[in-house]
Amino acid sequence: MSFRTLRNVVAISLGCLISTASVNAQFDPLSVQIQPLAESSLVLDIAKAGDSLVAVGERGHVLVNQQQDWKQISSPVISQLTKVFFLNEKQGWAVGHDATIIHTEDGGLTWQVQFQSAEVEKPLLDILFFNEQEGIAVGAYGLFYRTADGGNEWVQEFHEELLFPEDVSYLADLKAEDEALYLSERAALLPHFNRVIQLSDNQLLMVGELGLVATSSDNGLTFTAQPFDYEGSMFSAIEANNAVFVMGLRGHVFKTDKLFSQWQEIELPVKSSINNAFITEKGTLYLVGNAGVIIELDSNDSANIVARRQGENIVAIESDNQGQVWFAGSKGLFQLK
Amino acid sequence: MLEKLVNGFETHLFRNRMWVILSFILITLFLGYQASQLKMDAAFSKNIPLNHEYMKTYTKHQKDFGGANRIMVSVEDTSGNIFNPEYFDTLKKVHDELFFIPGVERSQVKSLYSPSTRFTEVVEDGFAGGPVIPADFRNDDYGLNVVRDNVEKAGIVGRLVSNDYSSAMLTAQLMDFVAKTDEEMAESEGAEKDITTKPLNTIQFAKQLEDQLRGKYETDTIKIHIIGFAKMAGDVAEGAKGVLLFFLIAILITAVMVYLFSKSLILTILPLVCSLVAVTWQLGLLTVVGFGLDPMSILVPFLVFAIGVSHGVQMINAVRRRVLDGQNTKAASASAFRSLLVPGGVALLSDTVGFLTLLAIDIGIIRELAISASLGVAVIILTNLILLPLVISYTTIKPTKEDPVKKAKIENLWRSLSRFATPKYAVIVLISTAILYGFGFQQASNMKIGDLQGGAPALHLDSRYNQDTFHITDNYSITTDYMTVIVEAKPEACTYHSLLNEIDQFEWMVGNTPGVESTASLASVSKRVNAGFNEGNPKWQVLPRTTASLVQAVGRVPTTSGLLNGNCSVMPVFLFLKDHKAETIEVVIAKVKQVAEQLNTDTLQFKLASGPVGVMAATNEAVSEAQLPMMIYVYGAVFVLCLISFRSLKATVAVIVPLYVVSTLAQALMTWLDIGLAVSTLPVIALGVGIGVDYGIYILSTMSGKLTQGMEVQQAYFEALVERGSAVIFTGLTLAIGVSTWFFSALKFQMDMGILLTFMFLVNMLGAIIILPALSAIFWRKPK
Repeated sequence: MSFRTLRNVVAISLGCLISTASVNAQFDPLSVQIQPLAESSLVLDIAKAGDSLVAVGERGHVLVNQQQDWKQISSPVISQLTKVFFLNEKQGWAVGHDATIIHTEDGGLTWQVQFQSAEVEKPLLDILFFNEQEGIAVGAYGLFYRTADGGNEWVQEFHEELLFPEDVSYLADLKAEDEALYLSERAALLPHFNRVIQLSDNQLLMVGELGLVATSSDNGLTFTAQPFDYEGSMFSAIEANNAVFVMGLRGHVFKTDKLFSQWQEIELPVKSSINNAFITEKGTLYLVGNAGVIIELDSNDSANIVARRQGENIVAIESDNQGQVWFAGSKGLFQLK
Repeated sequence: MLEKLVNGFETHLFRNRMWVILSFILITLFLGYQASQLKMDAAFSKNIPLNHEYMKTYTKHQKDFGGANRIMVSVEDTSGNIFNPEYFDTLKKVHDELFFIPGVERSQVKSLYSPSTRFTEVVEDGFAGGPVIPADFRNDDYGLNVVRDNVEKAGIVGRLVSNDYSSAMLTAQLMDFVAKTDEEMAESEGAEKDITTKPLNTIQFAKQLEDQLRGKYETDTIKIHIIGFAKMAGDVAEGAKGVLLFFLIAILITAVMVYLFSKSLILTILPLVCSLVAVTWQLGLLTVVGFGLDPMSILVPFLVFAIGVSHGVQMINAVRRRVLDGQNTKAASASAFRSLLVPGGVALLSDTVGFLTLLAIDIGIIRELAISASLGVAVIILTNLILLPLVISYTTIKPTKEDPVKKAKIENLWRSLSRFATPKYAVIVLISTAILYGFGFQQASNMKIGDLQGGAPALHLDSRYNQDTFHITDNYSITTDYMTVIVEAKPEACTYHSLLNEIDQFEWMVGNTPGVESTASLASVSKRVNAGFNEGNPKWQVLPRTTASLVQAVGRVPTTSGLLNGNCSVMPVFLFLKDHKAETIEVVIAKVKQVAEQLNTDTLQFKLASGPVGVMAATNEAVSEAQLPMMIYVYGAVFVLCLISFRSLKATVAVIVPLYVVSTLAQALMTWLDIGLAVSTLPVIALGVGIGVDYGIYILSTMSGKLTQGMEVQQAYFEALVERGSAVIFTGLTLAIGVSTWFFSALKFQMDMGILLTFMFLVNMLGAIIILPALSAIFWRKPK
């Protein structure tokens, strides 16, 4: 534990050095962050913060929607932000590339950097808080951080239990021979952790690369892989209609019961990757994905294409306090007319 | 002294008039033959300011990125759907035909059928991909369905296939030089033997496009739309042919006018013939100096003809006067020659110098215009000041007595006009002039730079070419209004995250400028490729920090994309603009400069500019920068010439002030009529001033002699009017009619030039008979 913390400290100071060196004396990228096109460029996630919506995207963009209008908020980073999470209407976190974690205490209006390390060369892809103190952040190649103090200190964890059996023995051999190579190999062997959600029974469900679907009943200290019949990446998961849906590459969506014992593949009319899902208050389940697809899934799990927006990948979906649904993706934020 | 010289010259000329006329005939035959060899010529590089900073960047990287000389061919199926066997047959033929037209850079022909048009898709175990039209393509329903799927996967909708699938696109890059044919090789001599290439003949190329693509393949169901500089130049040349008709009309109208003025058939024919001789010489000399006829300089013959006629009319006017006074025709001709050689020569010389000042503008086409126009005008000195009186001297002109009533009427007109030379009227005239000038000046300052309409500015909006342009910009996500900013860096620069990140920052900041619709660069494309390598997940649409991943992403972008050169030391950033109006360009250029200044380092330089709008930006800047120096030179030249011929500052000012007021009003007119200052309209002011000064010189040269003798200003002006007034007014009208036929030209820029020149010729004439006497009245209040 203490070794990893130390590594992070080194990483952070290295990161600072690198960034100081690369910043041109006359040019501060943060000062030009607020731009008219932020709303219509790549936006990767939307979350509810009380009555308002907060969206994040490329170049560290943060946008807040309070009265139907999106307003860009200055953010402390220029790294791409991939996910935003609100514990309540005030406390929120966003994660992204360069292992960035930023934090807000006022519902998304101002942000501070909690953690960043360009040196790990990996993105964080999701973040989840159980209460104001305890939370986890997950990302590419099994990147996993945990905090117990509201994000002041983030400690890395390695989820060896999610390695493939052959990789376990390979790593064990390597550790004996070459410590440095062992560390670098270990950092690349776990699959991407794409999404982690908390189910209604307080279990954690994490999905990711290479058909990873894993659950945890101890807030993510240990995971149990849930096998099913597909090896492609899963990008998101949702609990809806008393079932769990996981979704990912090339139009693959699976439905399972909460014990993960019965699996059923949902037939989609498209082969595009499904990036995310959302259930409205009325109980409509939306799936969104690449090639601009927006799909509605009815209670019989039959799919119906609502829209196909050419040349656009859709990644996020959320409804505002009026019940209006917002979408986001490679061409920014939009509503369906 | 001068008089002695002129007299001696006259004696010699008239004594040997037969030989002189004979040599004129011989020269005319020779130059006439040369003129018949004249070719239309419209090279791309002539239209751009090659020494402008942007154009240096443009030429430097032209080899890697082809620059701006591209053509686009959109093949449309009028049924609205291209996925049918007939269409694909035609498309294949059009592709092959285009590929083999000489001048097309074959490695850069892009269409559905080019092997470099590929798709890639993400599958569970990596990538799958191949050519959009597979090698085993069969042109049937099954094959077409495969192609349709591949088209979607390849992401070429909007580029190679129109957004509504009703047409498909072919693009080609043109070379500046093409290989000589065997025949041409056999013909070439000496050092030329070793040169195996010749410059691309744009107009011939355009004709090949028209015949071999549109002519062959356009049917009821297939429409071919072609755009690009070469096609435009071809259409402009085609439109310029209409000029011949205008030329005939201009000759006809002028002939009628000259007849009404001279009341004599022989005196109508002679000045016209001499002027046509001047035109022949001018065209012949173009071949001799190695120029072709350009759609823009095709207007010069009109000018030469009109100027020739107006000087010819001065000449016959002078001869007739003397005949009326009782001299025989020969003596009258000789005397007219003596009296007109100096003022006429000075006037024509100042025209010549006025045109030559255009040489200061570093745009090839304007320089050619300067040379051909000044040649033409200089030739008039020989044909209409020397040849014309010599030929007249062979004729016998009967002194037709003027109708006394009519004569009295005209004298009354001159009498009334001469009031402008009284202090009372002079003050009124000058105050109104000042007000008019103030108003004009204010309007002139709003004059726009560059092209104000969409499409190709040389052509009318409803021309086939511009309709084709609108078809393509409406149906594809393509605009012809783009510029590229060239990023120069060290070799292998694209393998450094920090450098690509700078380019990405640049692209983002410039992309947020009003007027920029979208952008593309190696950085932004690599980001999307990186997402592709990560299972198409948009969350990976970043520049990877890991060098290996970055190289992997960048490596997928081929050099044919135009986004990088072979060793990626040069990476253009494409800026697609909403239009090419000067204001739009200025805003974007200013932003690029500002951002570039912030981001430029020793290892990374953002440089303007290439692409069609880059060229326009350079041209706009060159044109607006040239305007002031050009005005200074042309007025400087006119000033010096007037000073030499009048030896009086007052006289010089009296000639120049009206001219200056009229130039300002012409600029105001440009603002009102939405005519932008462009390569075609820039020379107009110089032409207008150069020619406009003639009126003043003719009137004041008569006046100043009488003023020196101590005559009162009003009387001096009256006598000048009697002697030269009708000729001056006539000249103004002839010139104006000659150029006003251009109103009906198929070419928008000829129309613009026609409007402006007509205005300048007419209003300069008014200036010379209204403002000039008013100024004189103030300058010479007391007779000497």
